[in-house]
Amino acid sequence: MTIRTMLLGTAGAAFALALAAPAAQAATICFAFQDLETEFWVAGHQAITETLTEAGHTVIERNAQEDANRQLEQVRDCIAQGVDGIILIPQDGESATTIVAEAQDNDVPIAVFNRPPSDLSRGIVVVADNEEIARQAVEFVAAEALEQIPDRPIQSLILVGNLGDPNAVGRRDGFYAALEPHGDRFATPIEVATQWDAATALANLEAAVTANPQIDLIFTSSDFLFPTIRSVLEPRGMWVPRGEDGHILMAGLDGDATACQLIKDGYVDATGVQDLYFEAESAMNAILAAIEAGETQPNEVIEDPGFALTSENIGEREMDMWGCVLLAEGFLER
Amino acid sequence: MSARPLAPQSTIDLATRAGPVLILVVIVLVFGLLTPSFLAAESLSNTAKQASFIGIAAVGMVFVLLTAGIDLSVGSVMYLAPLVAGLLMRDAGLGVAAALGVCVLTGAALGALNALFIVGLRVVPFVATLATLFLFRGFGAWLTQSRQLDFPDAIRGFGLASVLGVPVPILVFAAVAVAAHVVLRHTAFGRHIYAFGNDPAAAVKAGLPVRRVQAAVYVISGTLAALAGFVVISQIGRLDAGFGRGREFDVIAAAVLGGASLFGGIGGAGSAVIGALTIQAVKAGLVFAGINLYLQPLIQGAVILFAVFFDGLREARLRALRRRVIRPRGV
Repeated sequence: MTIRTMLLGTAGAAFALALAAPAAQAATICFAFQDLETEFWVAGHQAITETLTEAGHTVIERNAQEDANRQLEQVRDCIAQGVDGIILIPQDGESATTIVAEAQDNDVPIAVFNRPPSDLSRGIVVVADNEEIARQAVEFVAAEALEQIPDRPIQSLILVGNLGDPNAVGRRDGFYAALEPHGDRFATPIEVATQWDAATALANLEAAVTANPQIDLIFTSSDFLFPTIRSVLEPRGMWVPRGEDGHILMAGLDGDATACQLIKDGYVDATGVQDLYFEAESAMNAILAAIEAGETQPNEVIEDPGFALTSENIGEREMDMWGCVLLAEGFLER
Repeated sequence: MSARPLAPQSTIDLATRAGPVLILVVIVLVFGLLTPSFLAAESLSNTAKQASFIGIAAVGMVFVLLTAGIDLSVGSVMYLAPLVAGLLMRDAGLGVAAALGVCVLTGAALGALNALFIVGLRVVPFVATLATLFLFRGFGAWLTQSRQLDFPDAIRGFGLASVLGVPVPILVFAAVAVAAHVVLRHTAFGRHIYAFGNDPAAAVKAGLPVRRVQAAVYVISGTLAALAGFVVISQIGRLDAGFGRGREFDVIAAAVLGGASLFGGIGGAGSAVIGALTIQAVKAGLVFAGINLYLQPLIQGAVILFAVFFDGLREARLRALRRRVIRPRGV
């Protein structure tokens, strides 16, 4: 299976061998996720469940449908069932802290995937360095903007995620960190709230673009909003590919299949890539090791450094991005 | 017994009845003073266009609220009905018009399911529609395995189109509001809704078809929620798994903000229009004014709280005014 192939390709040889062979002791893992509303979460969910199942483990899946309280109850239910370990995609940083404490207080090892708890001191936490990844992607488009627009302040716009989500906060911080060294060359950025919701983003972005028709650079905190951006810019004649007059420099973050296609088509210039397979693999590896060692309260932070895929390096690094791998498999045509 | 002075009472009555409109006007003027470009024609047109999404569903919600009911499933219907249409577009080659028809019919069917639980099985509306909220979304997630659905490009030709310079979403919203107004104000069915909402026991005694009326309002709510979902998806061209989640609160807030009562019998199509425009004007105004993102939810919440508080005062006043009439004038 291709997901497994990709996992094996990105993992080290030792880990590949460990996954390929049945585990010494089959474990029951509770996989509690908040929902699967974007390509990133769908691909992450698939990678984790398929790999664990193929390795002979039992996976109990619990979807909280974006309800933090329900997720806590689901985790309690898993603990009551006597699971050996928990992999968690939490709704937000605060609820993650509560759920990690609940699991550890009941001597069940827990790993948090991608969305970190507010308190990083407890549990296995696998997290992308959102600030750094966002900074890299925005730095690329900022440099392009400085070169293309030498004679006036550059107007940028950021689509901000749900500010209760540490990932959204980190991405916003990375955006500002990339612009900060250039001082007055950039006008005060326009901030648009999205709440990670396409309809909210559509309404607020439309208002922002109407209020500020001169926009030179857009950064979206998640790639899943690119179709929404297109629906606002296209009727205004502002959805223009690279190399043509009126192109708005555009960057995102996630590294999904849509972003990959749009970079190839020239509409998007860069996206910050979370190494989804590294993160999935790290979460599984760490939780299985803890179970094997009989460790009930493992604490560790595993950081995904990520990188920026840009219109310049896509030739060399395309297949390092999970979305491009999915795109090559025909993900967008299914 | 001396006669009460007419003029002051009329002024208070007028202010009471026109309260939601006054709130909208004040909000638009305040943001217009803060950023004059907010009052530009394009800006106001965009505000109306983006209000159409919540507004269309809020019109349906008004029908339900008039019967003192509630429909918590509208956000899930907004997701599931366009999803069914989109799958048929993708897999069966359905055109945009046919997809719109499928979407609306699916919404009606989902509304009928709500009606079955509420009227047929006598489940409390709050509980029944809370259950279908999860049922509908869960079914959609099962159909897609939580993956996004990309619609054919043709659908965006519909959602982004204009007729004589007026965006299609505004036209759809206007058509829905006018039709609802006519139904509520000029048909026997509309009178039955108000009669039931004002006093269910009296409506039964009067021999009104209360079960049919109650069922119909949930079908209307489902139909319009589906249409609202289609209107937005036809602009974006993609349906994500989280689409519509939590929108039931926006829809209810819009209806109440516009003057519909949560306790039944008060409101009209205009309530939904005014409420949706008010909510969107606040949201757009905050963007125009560049208000800090952390403050925006606080301000939105404060506006809704104020309006609901005002609604309590207003409702008490209206109930006093309409002791001898079934349907109050001008609401």
